[in-house]
Amino acid sequence: MRQWWSKTERALGRRQNLASELEQEMDAHLQFLIEANLEQGMAPEDALIAARREFGNMAIVQERSYQSWQFPRFESLLQDIRYALRGIVKAPAFSLIVILTLAVGIGANTAIFSTVYAVLLKPLPFPAGERLVWLGESNAKASGISVTWINFEHWQAENHSFEAMAGFQNADLTLAGRGQATLTHAGLVTSQFFQLTGSRPMMGRLFAASDDESQSPATVVVTQSFWAKSLSADPQIVGKMLTLDGNAYTVVGVLARDPAFFLRPVDYYLPIRPSASQAAKRDAHGSMRVLALLKPGLALAAARSDLNTIMERLAKSDPGPEVNHRAYAEFLTEERTGDVKHTLVLLMGSVGLVLILACANIGSLFLVRMTIRVREMAIRSAIGAGRGRLVRQLLTETMLISFLGGTCGVLVAALALRALERFGPRDIPRLAEASLSLPVLIFALALTMMVALVCSIVPVLCSGHVNFSVLLKESTTGSGSSGMGHAVRGGLVVTEIALAVILLFTSGILVRSLWAAETVNPGFEPRHVLALELQLPGSRYKEDASILDFYRRLETALRAVPGVEAVGSANCPPGGGDCGDWWYSVVERPAPGRDDVPVTLINIADSAYFRTMQIPMVVGRAPSDEDRASGPAVAVINQELARTWWKDARSAVGQHIKLGGPYMKGPVLEIVGVTTNVPDMGLDSAPLPQIYLPFEQRVSPGMVVAIQTRGTPESTMATVRRTLASIDSDIPIQSLKPMDDWLGSTLTERRFITALLALFALVAVILAAIGCYGVLNYWVSSRTQEIAIRMAMGARTAEILRRTATQAAKLGALGSAIGLVGSWGAARWLKSLVYGISNRDPIVLLSATVIAFMFLALAAAVPLWRSTRINLIETLHEV
Amino acid sequence: MSTVDRLSDDEKLELLQGTLEVLILRSLKLEPNHAYGISQFLQQQSDSEFLVDNGSLYPALQRLLQRKWIAGQWKTSPNGRRARYYSLTPAGRKELLRATSKWQRFAVAMAKILAPEG
Repeated sequence: MRQWWSKTERALGRRQNLASELEQEMDAHLQFLIEANLEQGMAPEDALIAARREFGNMAIVQERSYQSWQFPRFESLLQDIRYALRGIVKAPAFSLIVILTLAVGIGANTAIFSTVYAVLLKPLPFPAGERLVWLGESNAKASGISVTWINFEHWQAENHSFEAMAGFQNADLTLAGRGQATLTHAGLVTSQFFQLTGSRPMMGRLFAASDDESQSPATVVVTQSFWAKSLSADPQIVGKMLTLDGNAYTVVGVLARDPAFFLRPVDYYLPIRPSASQAAKRDAHGSMRVLALLKPGLALAAARSDLNTIMERLAKSDPGPEVNHRAYAEFLTEERTGDVKHTLVLLMGSVGLVLILACANIGSLFLVRMTIRVREMAIRSAIGAGRGRLVRQLLTETMLISFLGGTCGVLVAALALRALERFGPRDIPRLAEASLSLPVLIFALALTMMVALVCSIVPVLCSGHVNFSVLLKESTTGSGSSGMGHAVRGGLVVTEIALAVILLFTSGILVRSLWAAETVNPGFEPRHVLALELQLPGSRYKEDASILDFYRRLETALRAVPGVEAVGSANCPPGGGDCGDWWYSVVERPAPGRDDVPVTLINIADSAYFRTMQIPMVVGRAPSDEDRASGPAVAVINQELARTWWKDARSAVGQHIKLGGPYMKGPVLEIVGVTTNVPDMGLDSAPLPQIYLPFEQRVSPGMVVAIQTRGTPESTMATVRRTLASIDSDIPIQSLKPMDDWLGSTLTERRFITALLALFALVAVILAAIGCYGVLNYWVSSRTQEIAIRMAMGARTAEILRRTATQAAKLGALGSAIGLVGSWGAARWLKSLVYGISNRDPIVLLSATVIAFMFLALAAAVPLWRSTRINLIETLHEV
Repeated sequence: MSTVDRLSDDEKLELLQGTLEVLILRSLKLEPNHAYGISQFLQQQSDSEFLVDNGSLYPALQRLLQRKWIAGQWKTSPNGRRARYYSLTPAGRKELLRATSKWQRFAVAMAKILAPEG
């Protein structure tokens, strides 16, 4: 060790020193010898010569002394690297293409992997995150239903499978008394939530069991960012009051770090307090779900059946309409990533194909270069380089160029991640956390090494088939190509075309799906409509009358604004997602079985909504101002619901719907009209049954006011804000945006995936074209003499062309055939992403093949042209 | 030097692998010395039996320096010439003791086996 260190020390800076010291030392030695000779009476010249002879070869002494300071292996590696660098610089075009290809391949893979890592692989940032379980209720129809308070209490007290449990849900509350009233986001949790997520207070305390008691004073724990932003980082905040929705809450603590458990920003946490009915009735659902920590070593299924035992016991002791409800449990990691997993696997797969293409390309480039360098290798082996040494040299070169490519790839990935941050969809959990973290860099390194190995296998294998001594005797450069080399090259072309076809097909399917989704008739006219989303604070708008009054005044005021054509409100606009669904049954039809009660979306609309949104009525009428709370209960249904029960929508009118189904309490509604379907879940979703209830008969404080404008919706935004403030200045605006955006944002993820896949396909096609060009070009070069002889014998240009073209077409046909088979298989993966077309759409299959062929033709054009331009005389002279 | 000249190089003994370093350490046991002095010492002590080639001596000195068994220092010799004097370090002294006993045992063992029977 010590020896190694002193060697390093020398190698680093003292080599120069060592040389001069040694020289002086040897000089002194020589002087001693001369002196001794002089003492013996020799003449001065003779003394010098004799001393020299006696000392021996100074150069050898020097050399050997140096050697003892060197690391022989390391130095020969350095030499290899120096030599490889020289090789890279000597062939700049070749090196640039290889490095760029690698940079794209490795960069794209690293970027996608970093998102896969952040979203799917990285452990959740909670202690024992892998044991965290998401709990809900389930019945025969649905799973993941909210957990009722009483069930939760029983689970918490009686289970034997979990170390801790916490209920959680979202809420939006209005913060008042601190400047302008603002809408804030709360996480409602029970006390063990913080322990489960590993949260600590920065100040004060977090919730204790006492905060769960419904009689204890209202408390709030704020997040650090909310404390800094909205509470002006008040160091004395603990013990002060916050007014939320008109109620006073005491601040008990500030979180050191927000656990980021909720998939949206949270400003503060409040204890969950069940309502009177929730505390009394086992079937009174809110929107609470449960987070629980599984005991170590316990299977999820065992925990589930443990909870189910409790549910079965409760079904006997406290029966009700939900005796068939059971517990639903899923690991939190699964719950969080289930939806995006498919997408990311698809992306990772495609980008992997791009990398394989890149490798094939580089492999073929190395192959071509190898045949050019075969003479160089032959000479080096002739002057004594062992085969091992040559292989090592080749490996070093490939490694070095791969690492250069890999480094550039990491840079590409860094750029790609920044682009992702800007343009990526926001609703994929943890996507924003994608970064070039250590595991990602290790992945990139491993990938680079793999690529380097794969790419060096080709030239090394081929160098094994080259007989160096035979080569040296031959004169032409191309004769190193063996039959094996041709087979390998042909195989590379076929692979490249096949991969390009597969990627073209996948991206083509997605592009057509996106096209179909973008141009789908939404069933209404979203242009020129502005959407104002409001949530009236419950403290000041307790009575239905006050809510109705507010919206009536707001709509009237908005209608008076110049440029506004119509105003109407609904609880859930198209693209709003699932704002609420419930069981229902048709009174005139036989009652469904207990487990077969159908579900429908429930929406609320006022009389002007359908007119404003231009949602046409198929039959019957829209809700009207006459549908008052005291009048007969009515409903408007959508075509999809009508279609499930009646052949002709007209026969639906006058029939009755029972909300809640036959086994639950709920009003009976008379169907007064049928409207067209609108895309509730997004433009690329299948229509779902929906019931519209008149606003006066089902009052909701949260509505989206649709404002039809003459000009662009944006131009009216400021006026809308002013109008709202003139009616009540303390109402926070949840959102104010063109109705287009509600729908458009439903396609963000689809657009993103499609854009990425299209990009991959483009890169793939370009890579494949370059690869095919390289191989065909080489094919022509190595046949120059053959072609020249054929021409000399009288072959016409057309025949020469046909021969080369046939070769290209054969490879193309084989590649396409394999690509089509691969596409057929890949289609299975696309099923969930396809919209509006078949996942094996023949048009896309065909165009993918045609495009791949076109690129092949383009790539083949130059070599073909070259084959006809061969200079007969010159070429024949070279033979 | 005359004794050296009389024996031709072929008749001299080749040093066994690893012996030269011990011999150098031994030559520095009493006093520091320079490379020329060390080679003189080794030839004289072995009655010119050992062939000490500078091509071996210098690398051996470098190896000993690397192991920190000897240290080099530029000094002026009694006759006024500047030379690099090597001296034993404490670690070198320890190594000399260890190697001496090893080589003595080796020599005794060799002698026992090679000694004429009877």
